[in-house]
Amino acid sequence: MKTPIFKNCFWGVLPVLLLIFAAGLVYSAKGGVVQIYKNATAPFDDEKQVDAALSLPIPSVLVTERYQGGRFRTETRKDKMQRFSCSQCHNNKPVRVAQAAEIAHGEIVLNHGSEARPLSCYTCHKKDERDFLVTEEGTKIDMDHSYQMCGQCHFRQKKDWVGGAHGKRISYWTGERVVKNCTGCHDPHSPRFKKRWPVIYSPPLSKSK
Amino acid sequence: MDPRKNKICQKPQEKDCQQTKPNGRREFLKGAARVAAFGGAAMLAGCGGGMLGSKEELSLRWKEYFKKHYRLMTPEEKDATVQRLEQLAKIKNNVNIQMSSAPPIEGVLFGYAFNVTRCEGYMECVAACVKENNLDRKSNMQYIRIFEMEHGQMTPEVGNAKFYHQVPVEDHFYMGVQCNHCQNAPCVAACPTKATWQEPDGIVVVDYDWCIGCRYCIAACPYYGRRFNWNDPVVPKDEMTKKQHYLGNRMRGRGQMEKCTFCVQRSRAGRLPACVEACPTGARVFGNLLDPDSEIRFVLKHKKVFRWKEDLATDPKFWYFVD
Repeated sequence: MKTPIFKNCFWGVLPVLLLIFAAGLVYSAKGGVVQIYKNATAPFDDEKQVDAALSLPIPSVLVTERYQGGRFRTETRKDKMQRFSCSQCHNNKPVRVAQAAEIAHGEIVLNHGSEARPLSCYTCHKKDERDFLVTEEGTKIDMDHSYQMCGQCHFRQKKDWVGGAHGKRISYWTGERVVKNCTGCHDPHSPRFKKRWPVIYSPPLSKSK
Repeated sequence: MDPRKNKICQKPQEKDCQQTKPNGRREFLKGAARVAAFGGAAMLAGCGGGMLGSKEELSLRWKEYFKKHYRLMTPEEKDATVQRLEQLAKIKNNVNIQMSSAPPIEGVLFGYAFNVTRCEGYMECVAACVKENNLDRKSNMQYIRIFEMEHGQMTPEVGNAKFYHQVPVEDHFYMGVQCNHCQNAPCVAACPTKATWQEPDGIVVVDYDWCIGCRYCIAACPYYGRRFNWNDPVVPKDEMTKKQHYLGNRMRGRGQMEKCTFCVQRSRAGRLPACVEACPTGARVFGNLLDPDSEIRFVLKHKKVFRWKEDLATDPKFWYFVD
């Protein structure tokens, strides 16, 4: 007595289930661009596909972090600093220089951190390690890898920078990923962007707007 | 008036005038007919430009006039038309351009993300776009509009795009608007001549030579992404971007529609669009949606994203995100 009822139910429900399944399939195929990119899971072989010369002429270093596609590079910092290395002057020996006042970092304006607890020079630079940055834990950090220093406090931004939501990629969307370092856009001593005039203005789109 | 035109038109006239004097009415009519035919031919050949150029230019223009729609051309025909356009640019404006008709890259679907929190309204992107895409300097055409919006405003339609003061302003955010490259683009559906379509890599492009200037697409686009040339675009010769693409930044004419093409001449060569490269705050992210390792995929996976007017089902490939 039990089995026929079950069988009847089964044959009644099966087509409905199939219909729902088919509708689901159709819907997922028509899910638009979101579904299209979610379906794409195979890594893109850019060396095979893009036959452009994709070697950047700028010097870069390999970042110690890994992002979802593996290793990536960031632009160097040390070769852009005017008077590196610092221990040329800061070496506990008397130094004789002309215009000492001008080159003794008089131009640096420190505007970093909250008003209540601003950072000082010695938050990042230490007296005994002039050529390196030193973290709160006491780890020496190369100037080229300053993101490790910034990431101590700005860990959320660093996470985004490693992934690609913060910061700026240099020149190419494909090929080896080379991004700007923190110091490429922000002045580390006063990191907030300055207020300035826009470089161009927009004409009105129509008379009414 | 072109001196050459004078010569060609007047030569037969002078000859006929000499003949008509002794022979009377019949000869005069013959001559007049000949002149009229000549003038008509000259008018036909010079249509569009209005000026009669050299013989070479004439033949190039003739072939250009009767070329096919870009999507119906074979690769050889594309190469030929690109060559003709390069020669014409040399003859007409004395500029050496390098035009390409690079096809879409396989396995690529371009996507774009705009960080609403990071944009500060410096407008560097707009300036770079104008320069890269050879936009009309006379009418001040721009593809990108940056809207200054107060916190809490939800759509750029209530924002201010005409700001000109020092930026950023406190308690405001900036939202860039350009072509959204919809997967289900209303402008493509509206075009009566199929002059606009979506390429396999997701870029919505215009074949300028097939555009009849009806502007239906402007009316159809909910994102104000299209621009119309009411006059011939004016670009100073030394400011012109020489690396061009047939579907991208080549010179348009009067009565033709144009739009953002994600800088097709750059993106198909692996480079970033001019706006992304120019952005000083890194608010713009561009990449391949089909590559799971790309930056744009990271943004879509890990950040709070939204699309403007998503309820219209246009399915844009242009996301906005907040930090």
